[in-house]
Amino acid sequence: MPQRMQNFISFGQNTPERRDAEDRRRDFDEIYRRFDQGAASEQASRCSQCGVPFCQIHCPLHNNIPDWLKLTAEGRLEEAYEIAAATNNMPEICGRICPQDRLCEGNCVIEKGFDSVTIGSVESYITDTAWEQGWVRPPEPETDRDQSVGIVGGGPAGLAAAEELRKRGYRVDVYDRHDRMGGLLIYGIPNFKLDKELVTRRTEMLAAGGITFHTDFEIGRDAGLNDLRARHDAMLIATGVYKGRALAVPGAGLDNIVPALDYLIASNRKGLGDTVPDYESGKLNAAGKKVVVIGGGDTAMDCVRTAVRQGAESVKCLYRRDRANMPGSAREVARAEEEGVDFVWLSAPEAFLGDGAVSAVRTVRMHLSVADATGRQTPQVIADSHQNIDADLVILALGFDPEDVPTLFGEPELGVTRWGTLKVSYRDMMTNIDGVFAAGDIVRGASLVVWAIRDGRDAAAHMHRYLLERAEAPADLAEAS
Amino acid sequence: MTKRDFESGAAFPEGWRANAARLQAADAYDPADEHDACGVGMVVALDGQPNRRVVEAGIEALRALWHRGAVDADGKTGDGAGIHVQIPEEFFKRHIRRTGHEPGETPIAVGMVFLPRTDLEAQDTCRGIVETEILRCGYRIYGWRQVPIDVSVIGEKANATRPEIEQIIIASEGEIDDEAFEADLYLIRRRIEKRALERNINDFYICSLSCRSIIYKGMFLAEQLTAFYPDLLDARFVSSFAIYHQRYSTNTFPTWRLAQPLRMLAHNGEINTLKGNVRWMESHEPRMGAAAFGAHIDDIKPIVQSGSSDSAALDAVFELLVRGGRSAPEGKAMLIPESWSKRETVPQPHCDMYAFYNCVIEPWDGPAAIAATDGRWVIAGMDRNGLRPMRYTVTGDGLLIVGSETGMVRVDDTAIRERGRIGPGEMIGVDLREGRFYHCRELVDKLAARKPFGEWVRHITPLDRLIRDGGDEKPAFARDDLRRRQIAAGWSHEDLELILHPMVEDSKEPIGSMGDDAPIAVLSDRYRGLHHFFRQNFSQVTNPPIDSLREARVMTLRTRLGNLGNILDEDESQTDLLQLESPVLSNAQFDAMRAHMGDTAVEIDCCFDPDGGETALGDAIERIEREAEDAVRGGCQHVILSDMNSGPGRAAIPMILAAGGVHAHLVRQKLRTFTSLNVRSGECLDVHYFAVLVGVGATTVNAYLAQETIADRHARGLFPGKSLSDCLQGYKEAVDQGLLKIMSKMGISVLSSYRGGYNFEAVGLSRALVARFLPGMTSRISGIGLPGIQRKAVGVHARAYTGAAPMVDIGGFYNSRRGGEVHGFDGRAIHILQRAVEIDSFATYKKYSEMVRGLPPISLRDLLDFQSDRDAVSVDEAESITEIRKRLVAPGISLGALSPESHETLSIAMNRIGAKSDSGEGGEDPARAKPRTNGDNANSAIKQVASGRFGVTAEYLNNCREIEIKMAQGAKPGEGGQLPGHKVSVEIAALRHSTPGVTLISPPPHHDIYSIEDLAQLIYDLKQINPDAKVCVKLVARAGIGTIAAGVAKAKADVILISGHGGGTGASPQSSIKYAGTPWEMGLAEVNQVLTLNRLRHRVALRVDGGIKTGRDIVIAAMLGAEEYGIGTAALVAMGCIMVRQCHSNTCPVGVCTQNPALREKFEGTPEKVVNLFTYLADEVREILASLGYTTLSDVIGRTDLLTQVSRGDEHLDDLDLNSILAQADAGGFPRHSAVEGRNEVPDTLDAEIIATAWRAIEEGEKMQLAYTIRNTQRAIGTRLSSKITRRFGMKGLPPNHVTLRLRGSAGQSLGAFAVQGLNIQVVGDANDYVGKGLSGGTIVVRPTTSSPLTTYENTIIGNTVLYGATAGKLFAAGQAGERFAVRNSGAEAVVEGCGSNGCEYMTGGTVVILGPIGDNFGAGMTGGMAFVRDPDNDLPNRINDDSVVYQRIQTPYWTGVVKDLIAQHARRARSRYAETILNDWAHESKSFWQVVPREMLDKLDHPVVADEEQATA
Repeated sequence: MPQRMQNFISFGQNTPERRDAEDRRRDFDEIYRRFDQGAASEQASRCSQCGVPFCQIHCPLHNNIPDWLKLTAEGRLEEAYEIAAATNNMPEICGRICPQDRLCEGNCVIEKGFDSVTIGSVESYITDTAWEQGWVRPPEPETDRDQSVGIVGGGPAGLAAAEELRKRGYRVDVYDRHDRMGGLLIYGIPNFKLDKELVTRRTEMLAAGGITFHTDFEIGRDAGLNDLRARHDAMLIATGVYKGRALAVPGAGLDNIVPALDYLIASNRKGLGDTVPDYESGKLNAAGKKVVVIGGGDTAMDCVRTAVRQGAESVKCLYRRDRANMPGSAREVARAEEEGVDFVWLSAPEAFLGDGAVSAVRTVRMHLSVADATGRQTPQVIADSHQNIDADLVILALGFDPEDVPTLFGEPELGVTRWGTLKVSYRDMMTNIDGVFAAGDIVRGASLVVWAIRDGRDAAAHMHRYLLERAEAPADLAEAS
Repeated sequence: MTKRDFESGAAFPEGWRANAARLQAADAYDPADEHDACGVGMVVALDGQPNRRVVEAGIEALRALWHRGAVDADGKTGDGAGIHVQIPEEFFKRHIRRTGHEPGETPIAVGMVFLPRTDLEAQDTCRGIVETEILRCGYRIYGWRQVPIDVSVIGEKANATRPEIEQIIIASEGEIDDEAFEADLYLIRRRIEKRALERNINDFYICSLSCRSIIYKGMFLAEQLTAFYPDLLDARFVSSFAIYHQRYSTNTFPTWRLAQPLRMLAHNGEINTLKGNVRWMESHEPRMGAAAFGAHIDDIKPIVQSGSSDSAALDAVFELLVRGGRSAPEGKAMLIPESWSKRETVPQPHCDMYAFYNCVIEPWDGPAAIAATDGRWVIAGMDRNGLRPMRYTVTGDGLLIVGSETGMVRVDDTAIRERGRIGPGEMIGVDLREGRFYHCRELVDKLAARKPFGEWVRHITPLDRLIRDGGDEKPAFARDDLRRRQIAAGWSHEDLELILHPMVEDSKEPIGSMGDDAPIAVLSDRYRGLHHFFRQNFSQVTNPPIDSLREARVMTLRTRLGNLGNILDEDESQTDLLQLESPVLSNAQFDAMRAHMGDTAVEIDCCFDPDGGETALGDAIERIEREAEDAVRGGCQHVILSDMNSGPGRAAIPMILAAGGVHAHLVRQKLRTFTSLNVRSGECLDVHYFAVLVGVGATTVNAYLAQETIADRHARGLFPGKSLSDCLQGYKEAVDQGLLKIMSKMGISVLSSYRGGYNFEAVGLSRALVARFLPGMTSRISGIGLPGIQRKAVGVHARAYTGAAPMVDIGGFYNSRRGGEVHGFDGRAIHILQRAVEIDSFATYKKYSEMVRGLPPISLRDLLDFQSDRDAVSVDEAESITEIRKRLVAPGISLGALSPESHETLSIAMNRIGAKSDSGEGGEDPARAKPRTNGDNANSAIKQVASGRFGVTAEYLNNCREIEIKMAQGAKPGEGGQLPGHKVSVEIAALRHSTPGVTLISPPPHHDIYSIEDLAQLIYDLKQINPDAKVCVKLVARAGIGTIAAGVAKAKADVILISGHGGGTGASPQSSIKYAGTPWEMGLAEVNQVLTLNRLRHRVALRVDGGIKTGRDIVIAAMLGAEEYGIGTAALVAMGCIMVRQCHSNTCPVGVCTQNPALREKFEGTPEKVVNLFTYLADEVREILASLGYTTLSDVIGRTDLLTQVSRGDEHLDDLDLNSILAQADAGGFPRHSAVEGRNEVPDTLDAEIIATAWRAIEEGEKMQLAYTIRNTQRAIGTRLSSKITRRFGMKGLPPNHVTLRLRGSAGQSLGAFAVQGLNIQVVGDANDYVGKGLSGGTIVVRPTTSSPLTTYENTIIGNTVLYGATAGKLFAAGQAGERFAVRNSGAEAVVEGCGSNGCEYMTGGTVVILGPIGDNFGAGMTGGMAFVRDPDNDLPNRINDDSVVYQRIQTPYWTGVVKDLIAQHARRARSRYAETILNDWAHESKSFWQVVPREMLDKLDHPVVADEEQATA
């Protein structure tokens, strides 16, 4: 009998076929094709089935990766899906957009010398198959409960929490200020990484499971937090962080210097078929422009690759550290380079030049100091190393800060940290207001989708405990009296 | 400390008793664990006439047995010796006359009585009891006789416990036949014993009370028998038989009553099934009755007195049978039957008789050589496996001399008529009345012909036939129901995928690797099935495990069901039983059986209401017990317990509890033998669960849910190409094989004796619960009780029946999973440790250590913390890192498991820091013995000797500082191993003296250690072959390890290694990794306590290993009594291991544990990393010591007072009490650690003399010839000389036959062990066991004297286990060899003229020619080498085990030539006339030879074995 697992010795790593870069530049379609069963099974069978699965340890969701890899290798996809879905509310999305090279795959024990198992691709394959086969079903409440929860924010954290709570039998309402559910999944991440259809079918499935979605609903405008608290037995705030960081250098006020999120949302809306005035006006459209994106994270990668697809004349990415030290996924950089993006490493903007609208970025060269105790190398300016880079669209992808939630929500009591994120109890994820929980980026600051899902699930568990206690409390009182 | 601080020998018994009482109170020590073994034998006058020569020969033989016993440090106190002879009437009548009476003509009886000596009141009471009972029965008393003794020959300790020894002489009134007199005396003795017990008099013991025979025994050395008892020197002291015995016990406390012979028999060996047998005897008691006892039957119950040793219990039952009307040969055939059901060579009438006895009584299984008498018959018998040596000689002057060794009585060679041995299951006997000697065959023929057994056994209903037509297996549960039931049973995805699936697919238990680092069940906060609380027992040292695969013929799962009868009857009614070939039933089989049972069965529901309140579980079990009792009292013959009715409102009772409870209840009500106990359990999935169920009393087991699960998976297409019945058959096969393996670990080969034997230790079960449901099972630390179990059962039930579609848990018990069990080596800890050793940062290591400490409790030590009686001192004051590091050991991991790179890295690192690494099994490249040019020394300081003896040569054994005898391995104690052919690389094959690509098997036992005195012999041999090295014995923790260790210490070991159950492995069955052995904390504590109790602790060093991870672990180990510490897994992690746990698949991605060259390249370990780890461990030890105010490790060894229990586990536990671990024995002024300088030396042998004479040969390499007369007491002749030669010239430095030893007489054991090239040993006479053990190039010839009248091929000339592990050399023996000839031979050439059972087992090289008859199971597990057997009668096909070999008549001239050449050498060297005859007629004779070739070798031979290249027929 052929060996079923540990086939990393026999088979090399193989990722699903990637579309040709030239081809990719022309549209917003996903760039990876899918595994077929043979390839998925062969690749899954490379797993070493470790006694200590480092892939799982380094997965924020602690997905039971070795188990569904084994089932996939054996062609038992329905079971594989069950196990994958048991720890993850949207495996097909994680499979596509997680930076696996920094998480599961990066810690795969065969990574050194044999190249890791293609965990993400297998995960996508399993779940895509599950959708096709109709194995993905709306959340089914284990019992019906009277209590209701309100969730502010329809991004990954909010949706994950919504599904988990619905499964436990609560009535769930999700409020989002956008016209679609999904948060950054729908508006932040470009289609070539994550087809919007995938997000939509998820939210539709949740709706079919009895979750009520309220779009275009802005807390503070359409209702105060207090009003919602009165409506629900518990609340979850999962609004994410949307405020793009600005750059305080001369010329920052020039036109055509735009925040990344504005740019990406416009593009995504366009892709979804909406009419987007700022896009039509060319303000948020890179077509024919010399684009400079500033930043080295995943958002910056999304921007440069979107710009390429919009038909930019040139796209440059400025980052003050080098390739090895960038926060974004190395894999994304590689893809971007294939697509024609020019990376300018060790280079920081010093000023924006231009008259009314930006025409160039003045940069300065950096070099990295010796690593400090934490291992991080601080960039230092190299004197007299100025250089001007022509630009007629500058996109700032320098990270995100929270908005002023207490003010927006009309709830000044809501406690925040000095970074503006919501302050929650480490023990139960509750804010300082009873029954109001918070999860996702609004608590931890801008982070990965997978962390948002994890937070949403954790928050759901805490809320469940909280609600159970509340449901039992009156009975106890009755007994006592 | 000055000498006078030590406790004196005279004070010892008092101190011992106080200590023992304290340890017993703390559940730390159980006297029932004591073992003994020994030498045994008998001399019989063939004409049945008493004569003096018999007694003298018996005394002489006993003297020649001293080396099979142990001697206390005082040189005088032995473990006991004695002799059983006929009552010399004249001798006693003279005494009667002297007292003024005139003895009448009627027979007299004599009682040999041990009375309390110091308590005179008790003494008088005893005399009164004795007299009263004798008179009450109508006999007269002539009076008491004070037996003359000489106390100067016994040691202080023995004297301090010496009883008053007296004889009472009794007269019968009127005419009474012997039989009736004896039966009365038996009744009288039992009554006396009971009266004495009622009066709480403990020092009273009747050695014998008989009108026929008398027993003289005591706590002296064998040679002092006649000095102590001068009676025996009296010329009037005559007898027609003498049974004698020399004991070797595992403690040092001189207990006079335990000396043997016992009333009827003397036993050498150990009864492995004792617990089960004793309980079944209890159960048989209500039905028991015999004419001989009439109405007095109750006076003899209980048959087995509590606190009896295994031998005493066996003796008691044997005596019962004999007094109940059976003859001694019948008793032997009933209690210790041959294995008959699977062997072709047993005649049908014999099978019928044994089948009948199987319906009557359970066999007593385990190594046993017995010598017994019923007054008329004197017999000598052997256990079914032939695990003890028993040789006999018939002399021309009418004596039969039988004994553990040949040569104990000097007999003129030319006067010997026959030299034989007693084979497996056999017996020989002399009918004294008839004056006739019976060989085995004729004796059993006679027995089998007595009754129409063949007719009787036709009444047995073999259910298997019925069941075969049981119909289809149909799934019963819908998928959702099935899933919920799986969850309710506590199963996980892991159980289904990792355990169940492979069982079905491969018909085998799944294999895993590395150690168990999950929490012991009681410490886990997750649901754990009740079977997790049971640890399998296993054999080590005092008895051997069995190879259930290669020796399947002796194993049986045959199960009888129904109502058992009176064991003293012998009639056809007893065969009215159902019979199954295995207790494992599929659903359809169960249904068929159920249908057959009809109204004779009752079904009892084993569920409880989860909402039924706090006592719901307990109430339910009570209900079940009651229902079972009522049913049986109402005449039910079959009880069926089932939890099939579990569901939403009904939770299943853990079936182990229900089955154990009912079994125990029925035993208590004396109803158990009236019924079978059949269980249908949902939770039962793995082999261990089945074993626990049978072990606690279940008759049959139906794992219906496992079956449903298999059916479901089958329906989903997960077993392509298999039918459902194939799948179920595969599963059943896996369970059957697994059960056999679990039994065989214990050395038990018969399921009916395993059933209800509680061969487990409960770890973490409440003592109250164990006492109620599993009485007799060891449980030293308490834990979860009924309320806790109920809570967990309700919890898991709720999970199953809540929610829409609950998921089966992912698992995490075997492999780590988030949310599953915590594991000692978790991912982060591994990374931090690797980082620490890489960047050389103690601070980072401390992070690792803190992280390990911060984990939830996993081991018992996690519940302990330090407490000190001192203030902290500065770390600078603590002893140096270098000193501490010397105590650290890299434990034995074989090259074969490890890659060569990692193996050498470990050795180099350990040598750098002056510590020790252990080679593991499998030899070591001699090139590593010399340091490399860069200074690295890759020589392992410790060389392991394991059961496979791979590469164990004289050279290997001389290249080390210590030799470790691996008795067991933590991850799979009691099991052997197998290195599959694809892992046997060219390098490994070279080291192991085998062929690349050919499978290598390590047997479960060491074939030269079936008993404690055998271990002493191996230690002796090893101390001869290396005169400097210490010898370490590696044991695995289990209940009773303390007494085993005491025996090991007495065998002169220098170090005892206690390995915990968490020890690693390269490949083991999962159930062994998880459920066998106990934590090292328990084993170490017990060993330390018992050694201290027996004043042996300071004579041996203790080492411990099995999951030691941090300095804290080391200090705790020290306080529990260890002075050296093995760190295996952590050392591997330091070298890069990341616990992939795929060592068994040869796919280690980091190159640590693989032979694959591509993977080996990934190895990144360095000696520096390993050194760093050991440095940090030592440094952490210093910190802890200093914080406690101590400066050296020695100061805290054995100081359990510095430990305190800080946690008692979960709150719902009854009481998790570690007192049994922390209890301290008073050391009597002796140190609590080893005080031995150098090593414990053993007595010199003939080699001392040889070396003194032969210095010119050794120093100058001159050719020499030396001649000596020898005896059986001279052991390991030639071994020390071989060490000298190896060290001076190398193993192959001298030309063959350079030094010749000519020896005349009977050679002691291990003749020529490890003899090297250049040495030529010629014995004229015969030799004992282990001839040519580990032969490394020498030549050994054994032959009778030229004037001997014996026909060589019909007589036995050498003993058992000859050429075990031989790697090179030659052996020629003009006669037959014993059992297991050439076992594990990997290179020697040999010619013998016949051999016993299991010949050439596991052989991997060399050539063996056998000119005479062979025993059963020839060639089992033989994967290399070649054998030729002369067999003109075509008997070999019945005898051979052809699982791994093929056989054919020799076809090619090449191989004919090889045989002829060897026979010619034999004829010349051994002067065999028989060989000459064969050669003389060679053209004809060459056709009478079989050629036996391992299957795997067929395509690897240089010379084909088939003339036309066709496949040989198998």
